[in-house]
Amino acid sequence: MCELPPELTTKPLALIGLTGLDIANPVHRSIWDAFSNNRRLESSAIQFKLLSPTHEFPTVKPKRNSYEWYKPKGILKRNWMNKYLNEIPAVVVVFYNLDWNDPQWNEKKMECASRVQSLRNALDGRTTKIAVVLIQHCTQPPPGSEDTIATERATAVCGACELSPKLLYILPHGNHLLGYISRLESALYDLAQNFYHHEYRIVKGHKDQLNKTMEKNAHKQHLFVRHQFKMAFLNELKQDQNLAQKHYTQAYNHLLEIPITDINVMEITTVACFINYKLCKVMFNLNIPKDAITQFRFHTDRFKTWIGPKEVIFEHHAWMCSQFSTFAELFDDAIRQGLPAVQTQHPGYYFQSAAHHAGLRQAACKELCQNVTSYPDPDPLAGEEKLEFYGQRPWRPGKLSAEPIDLAKEVLAIQALQYKEKYTVNHSNIIIGLLGNAISQFKVYRCPRMRRVLVVQMAEEYYNSKDYGKVLTLLMHMLWEYHGERWPVLITNILKNALHAAYLSTSIQDYITLAFEALGPSTTFSEDFKSTVYNNIINILHKKPPTPEPDLPDDVKCPAVEKWVMELNKSEPIVFTIDNNNMSSFIEVKARFLQPKYAVNSMVTTEVIIRNSYSNTVEFSKITITVNSPGYNSEFVIADAEHNTLVFRGKEMKKFPYQFEAVQQNDSTEIRITTISLYMSNNKMCCIILRFSAVGRETNFLSQLYPEIQQLRRGEFETIQPLVSAEIKQEESNLNISAESNNPALLGEWLPINISITTNENISSAFLNVSLMSDGANEQSTELSLTMNNKQSVISIPIDNLEKDCIIHQTVYLRAHKVGDRDIHIKVEYSRSKQIKGSKELIYSLSVTKPFEVSTLFYTTLFESLTKGFINEPFIIMPHISCVSPWPINIINTSIELGDSIERENEDQTISVLSGITLSENETGTDAYCLIPRVGGEQPISTGVYTIKWKRANDNNALQTSSSVTLAPLSVEDAVIGLEAKLPAHGWVRTPLLISYFIKNHSDNIITLRLTMKASDAFMFAGQKQIDVYILPKNERKVEWILRPLVAGFVQLPSLSLTVPADEEHKLNKARLSEIVERSIPSHIYILPTSQTLEE
Amino acid sequence: MAVCVAVIGKDNSPKYIRCVDESLALQFHCKVHTSIDIIEEKLNVGNKAATDIRDLYLNLLYATEEYKIYGYATNTKIKFIIVLHSSNVSLRDNDVKMIFKKLHAAYSNAVCNPFYIPGDQLNSRSFDLAVMEIMGIISPFQ
Repeated sequence: MCELPPELTTKPLALIGLTGLDIANPVHRSIWDAFSNNRRLESSAIQFKLLSPTHEFPTVKPKRNSYEWYKPKGILKRNWMNKYLNEIPAVVVVFYNLDWNDPQWNEKKMECASRVQSLRNALDGRTTKIAVVLIQHCTQPPPGSEDTIATERATAVCGACELSPKLLYILPHGNHLLGYISRLESALYDLAQNFYHHEYRIVKGHKDQLNKTMEKNAHKQHLFVRHQFKMAFLNELKQDQNLAQKHYTQAYNHLLEIPITDINVMEITTVACFINYKLCKVMFNLNIPKDAITQFRFHTDRFKTWIGPKEVIFEHHAWMCSQFSTFAELFDDAIRQGLPAVQTQHPGYYFQSAAHHAGLRQAACKELCQNVTSYPDPDPLAGEEKLEFYGQRPWRPGKLSAEPIDLAKEVLAIQALQYKEKYTVNHSNIIIGLLGNAISQFKVYRCPRMRRVLVVQMAEEYYNSKDYGKVLTLLMHMLWEYHGERWPVLITNILKNALHAAYLSTSIQDYITLAFEALGPSTTFSEDFKSTVYNNIINILHKKPPTPEPDLPDDVKCPAVEKWVMELNKSEPIVFTIDNNNMSSFIEVKARFLQPKYAVNSMVTTEVIIRNSYSNTVEFSKITITVNSPGYNSEFVIADAEHNTLVFRGKEMKKFPYQFEAVQQNDSTEIRITTISLYMSNNKMCCIILRFSAVGRETNFLSQLYPEIQQLRRGEFETIQPLVSAEIKQEESNLNISAESNNPALLGEWLPINISITTNENISSAFLNVSLMSDGANEQSTELSLTMNNKQSVISIPIDNLEKDCIIHQTVYLRAHKVGDRDIHIKVEYSRSKQIKGSKELIYSLSVTKPFEVSTLFYTTLFESLTKGFINEPFIIMPHISCVSPWPINIINTSIELGDSIERENEDQTISVLSGITLSENETGTDAYCLIPRVGGEQPISTGVYTIKWKRANDNNALQTSSSVTLAPLSVEDAVIGLEAKLPAHGWVRTPLLISYFIKNHSDNIITLRLTMKASDAFMFAGQKQIDVYILPKNERKVEWILRPLVAGFVQLPSLSLTVPADEEHKLNKARLSEIVERSIPSHIYILPTSQTLEE
Repeated sequence: MAVCVAVIGKDNSPKYIRCVDESLALQFHCKVHTSIDIIEEKLNVGNKAATDIRDLYLNLLYATEEYKIYGYATNTKIKFIIVLHSSNVSLRDNDVKMIFKKLHAAYSNAVCNPFYIPGDQLNSRSFDLAVMEIMGIISPFQ
């Protein structure tokens, strides 16, 4: 009854009529489509209406000159708004096809003029503007150019139509239709604005006139309201929101001045509702939401006391309800347009208030309408839709307060209203709908608790409408949410309602769940109530219906009782499983393992602690515990009524220990107590299972908040910490592996690694696996072997009958060809009794180092260091072994394998000088060989490979290892001549000695040399002092001197110099010649003194 | 004078609620409970610096047609809530603040009792008396 009419709620748009357009004509069609469909957002607020050429407009009422004797029958006329929105256009546009150069120009011009004239007649008395649009097809002249024909003919059309030139428009139908249309649209919009402004001035004139003459009119306020409303509405059509707001406010203020009686209360409130709606909407549009809220507060405060006649007070509540819900919707719309809202000011509150008033309406209806059973005839409400004024009563239209009323009619009317309220209004649906809106708003604005309260209210309303299923769904959910904060009064309230609903809907499962919860400690039910509830549970177990909930009316109670009897007497067994994960009950359960770790095959000890927080005795029939591990899931019966007493007195706590054997599994696993189930009633036909999750909801929320304060609570139950998971571990293995070796290993040797395995139990079979841990670098250069002959990447050795306390030894050999660290993975896999497999691993690390380093030294036969050799000249090579191993090394033998172009000088030496020598760290040994190169060349020639056979000196069982080293190469040059001196090792003073020099010619030419022996103070000598010698190819020449030493000591010999004659220098270089002399001939000789006595 | 006084714990469970008219207890419990929404929002707003210096008094939480609900939160997140009749205009904002100060003092005294375990319901005669005084049931000068 308080629904707002559509003309009020739609956004007012300027109305523009289009005539002369024939929709069947495609050109016209496209024009009309452009107008009507392209309503872009930014375009002006216009409603276009297509009018037929013979359209009839509403007739104009006769003008009144004075308001002196005018007596208004109401405030707002029902048809006025619609008239301006949909019937009286601000502008009518006549479309006409006419080109400037049309062959039938004159005829058409006249036809157009006649159309305009007939339209003008139809609009007689209105100030509606008429405009003409000529649709032209021919191309337009470029803008700016003077088109004399067009100007002339346009003037002619204007003249014929009696039209101002400003109201004639040309619409070229061509490429840019949309552009032309939007320009035309804005021109038309300006015209419409003018029209509405003009209308506004007219109404304003009326108002001013009224002001002057008003003293005599008793109902001037009615007219004031009407005029202000009209002015505001016209401004809205004009899209002037500010002016509209001003006039609506004035209208509202005038309205408040009208005295309210029971007769006119309906009309006043209706109009107030309209004006308030418009005001709030305009204010929200103007982005002054605070003003809108203030206006609305003022409005509701002002009108909430005007309740109207007592018999139809529900109308007042309905009105209040619609005020709030309408405002909430306006508010919500504004928010969707971008208005920010806050937690304390958002549409939810208004929806909530609306729901509150809807509830009052329902209550009033219940109270007032209970005796109404028939609808009066004739219908006093007939014609309600056709009343002239808004908000008037159909049985006394047009009457204002002063007149007496027809009492009999009034009574019938009230009866009709009450009948309608009772039978046609679904109050619950209204309330639920409003609550639903409020709930979603509160959810958006982060008010979870407010939302919950509203959901509970919603559930109450569903209860009123007897939809118990929905009640239960909502309440069960809310109960769960309320648990978190433990508000006993609120929880009790919910539980009470939910129990009612569960009882009435015979939902046994829910009923039992709720009953268990009701007995719990977080409710404020009386002890009597609790014992009734407990008895009801017992009754259900005995298949008797529970006693009905208190305060239930008989009409719903009786069918419910019958339904209970029927449900409980079904033949199949009834088992109710109650999951305590999401409900709480009066039983509290904790479970724990007594140890965090158990060994395989040992006994796992668990304990279940149960406390009854209900104040009376409770009895169970069975307690089970479910233990879960990755492989299996088993339920153990911990206690049953036959063996234990499962009677819990009020507030009593009991502990139930239980043991079971830990299962055998190959890997260590975690076991977990998942659920504890309590069975009530042993009866096969009916049983309740309470399932508790061991992890559970923390029933005692406080323990999380103040753990340090828990010790202040003396209760034993609180102090028990649940331990729901435990580990089952393999027994610590009794097998032991150890490995030892002479670490570090030496490069190239087979290092024995001794692995010993001990065990303290009998093992029937085992496998020893040895492998190299791969690190990506050393696998290629490392070898493992059992025998030192065959290399294996993995060594597997079966071991049988490992007996207790005996040691098994196994040697594995490892050889490495690169220095570095190696990790050896040693693993023993074994099986014990009962098929339990076990394994033990060890990672053994060892490093590999070099045993020794070999360097090569070259010397001349005079033991001077040598950088290059000469063909056929002997030199000495000395391999130099320096020991770098931490272990002493025993050298067994050394040998040299010579290169192709080198020969030993004497072949007899087979046993090395080094053999049998032991070198410790940093000690060195040197071997020496005399060699003669036979071939020379540009590149250094390889001298040979040096092989050392050695073994560790610190280990008696050490194995012989042979290491080969490539000796350094030597560059060898050709020698054209060779020079050799033969002289005794020493001489005696004044005793002559013979020295001979052999000069060899290696070349194929004859060589001439000049020998010069320089005189020396230390010797007298006999022989040629200077001689030229000729040496034939491949021949040798001997030159001899006899020397008589004069002084003793290490004396310089007389120096020999060889020179080549100038013409033979191409054969032999002078510089090389002196080099040969220098290296081949000793420069000094030891001369010993002779005994004086011998001389005498 | 106040029609309902409530103390709410850190965990948002009620520690003490007393209304003048016990028959309306459910209604007041609901109102007090829902006002936690707004208190939580007010306590959550802003950065740490802002919360450090904030006033314990949280002003008017919200007003319905019948009641005005005021809030106050201690630094330990104990919340006090006082409900006044909307028609009650004798108490200004400052007066309400003073009432809260009084209530806070009474609460501190009550929990200073060595036998009180934090987190338990408040059950203290002196606190009762202070609340009754706030609600105007007894006069401080009797």
